[in-house]
Amino acid sequence: MHPTPALAPTPAPVVPPAVEVTDLRRRHGSFEAVRGISVEVRPGEVLALLGVNGAGKTSALEVLEGLAPAAGGSVRVLGADPRRERAAVRPHLGVLLQDSGLPGDLTVAETVRTWAGTLTAPRPVGEALAQVGLSGRADVRVRSLSGGERRRLDLALALLGRPRVLVLDEPTTGLDPESRRTVWRLVRGLVDDGAAVVLTTHHLEEAEQLADRIAIMRAGTVVVAGTREEIAASQPATVSFRLDPGAPRPPVPAGVTVVSAGPRVEWHTHALQPVLAELLAWAARAGVVLPGLQARAASLEQAFLAVADGADLG
Amino acid sequence: MTATTAPAVPAATAGPSRLRRVGALARAETLLLLRNRTAVVNSVLSPLLLVALVPLFGTDEAPLGQALLAAAAGFTLVFLTYYNLVVTYVARREALVLQRMRTGELTDGEVLAATAVPTLLVTAVQMAVVAVGVVVLGEWRAPVDPVLPVLAVLLGAVLMVVLATLSSVWTRTPESAQVTTLPVVVAATAASGLFFPLTALPEVLATVARLLPLTPVVELVQLGLSGRTWDGAAVAGADLWWAALGPVVTLLAWVLVAGALSLRWFRWAPKR
Repeated sequence: MHPTPALAPTPAPVVPPAVEVTDLRRRHGSFEAVRGISVEVRPGEVLALLGVNGAGKTSALEVLEGLAPAAGGSVRVLGADPRRERAAVRPHLGVLLQDSGLPGDLTVAETVRTWAGTLTAPRPVGEALAQVGLSGRADVRVRSLSGGERRRLDLALALLGRPRVLVLDEPTTGLDPESRRTVWRLVRGLVDDGAAVVLTTHHLEEAEQLADRIAIMRAGTVVVAGTREEIAASQPATVSFRLDPGAPRPPVPAGVTVVSAGPRVEWHTHALQPVLAELLAWAARAGVVLPGLQARAASLEQAFLAVADGADLG
Repeated sequence: MTATTAPAVPAATAGPSRLRRVGALARAETLLLLRNRTAVVNSVLSPLLLVALVPLFGTDEAPLGQALLAAAAGFTLVFLTYYNLVVTYVARREALVLQRMRTGELTDGEVLAATAVPTLLVTAVQMAVVAVGVVVLGEWRAPVDPVLPVLAVLLGAVLMVVLATLSSVWTRTPESAQVTTLPVVVAATAASGLFFPLTALPEVLATVARLLPLTPVVELVQLGLSGRTWDGAAVAGADLWWAALGPVVTLLAWVLVAGALSLRWFRWAPKR
């Protein structure tokens, strides 16, 4: 499964993935919500699934969580099937659903205590509340919590069993910036301790802050996946400058798409460095000044918008 | 990264026992019930009402105490256990609580069982209140066989839980339970033998009535209390248990069929 290259001088220890999804498919009746996705998450790693609403993120997570059957492909969590071997997987799995309810007439502390009573190795209730900043609200009925407080209580329950795999469906939607940062800090702490995390989000900033790897989904498939830099690199970089009327025009290097020919010239290219070198060499030879010269790699946002617009990426 | 060990599922450490897991959730559910004052008052008042009313309609068929106890078993199981559980399961499902409870270590069966515990406790309390009422009225007679009524109520309670999970499938809101529970509440109760003796029916209809879910419970309670079968014949000893066989098998069949259907169709989350 994980061949070590024979010629590698010092083979790195092979860490099997904590989450392994292979060609996963999921149907809702006749609608195929997930159409063959494959991702891996190793211990100590965060994978962010990005995508517009309806891209199939939640449908995919429900299979990881063991709540729904796959229509095809396979999902392994810590080497086991999360649905058929639920009893083996669950003690190590923390789940935060996108929408979930709690009885409104229990207090915060009663809610955490109840959940702890069902777990193999729960954190102490006080620690769990302190973690999410709810210590001062322990005796408040869940009904009276604000939306952000309820989300943090949800998170406290998801973390209560000290999970080694954490599945978070839009963990910070509806949270204020400060609560959001609390959540990020908690997730980072768990990852530092070796947990594997899969999360979905609408916030590109969240993906950039938390994720080691990002997979952008559209219509049930992963359209592009990789590190933030790799994904940005899937989009062309931009070179732009002004050309005064009458000034000599530079030759267009190979591999450049001319978006605008002037007076503000804009080129797109997947080979930013050689194109830029060629342009600068020409300008030096011809003695031409290029006012407003800019060269920048694509951003994650550009890639995300391109996917949302329906462009197929490498 | 320093982790070098395989992240396989570690050898099972001793987790909480099934009983402790169910107990934790059942305790929370009971707390919720106790915080609902209306529900608490109702659960004590309604059996007292029954004790007060049934003497007015007392028949000559059976001694008053035995009629009261049989009526208490039948009415409580349907109007309280079954109806309450349909409402509870639907309310918990629509509030997204059931789905949440499924994300932990509890198994599906444990979630459903723990949710049913408070209702089952109230069921037991109501029957006890009626029993005490029968003693107070001076109508208590020693049962011919004490095991049968207990067995009837236990099997009946299991069946009501299973029927409630099944009824929740086509109940979209707690309010609509008033309609979706009608087949069991009206048909099964009316033809259970509590309102009129089934011998008043033509034979075919009587047989059909005896196959409904509540009738076997009432039959078994009456059989154990008074030693009389559904058609009024007095039996004793081995004949008593022979007469009990039919209703017990009917109850088990209902549990199996309704359970299998529920396993197939039960929904844990609202329809999207």
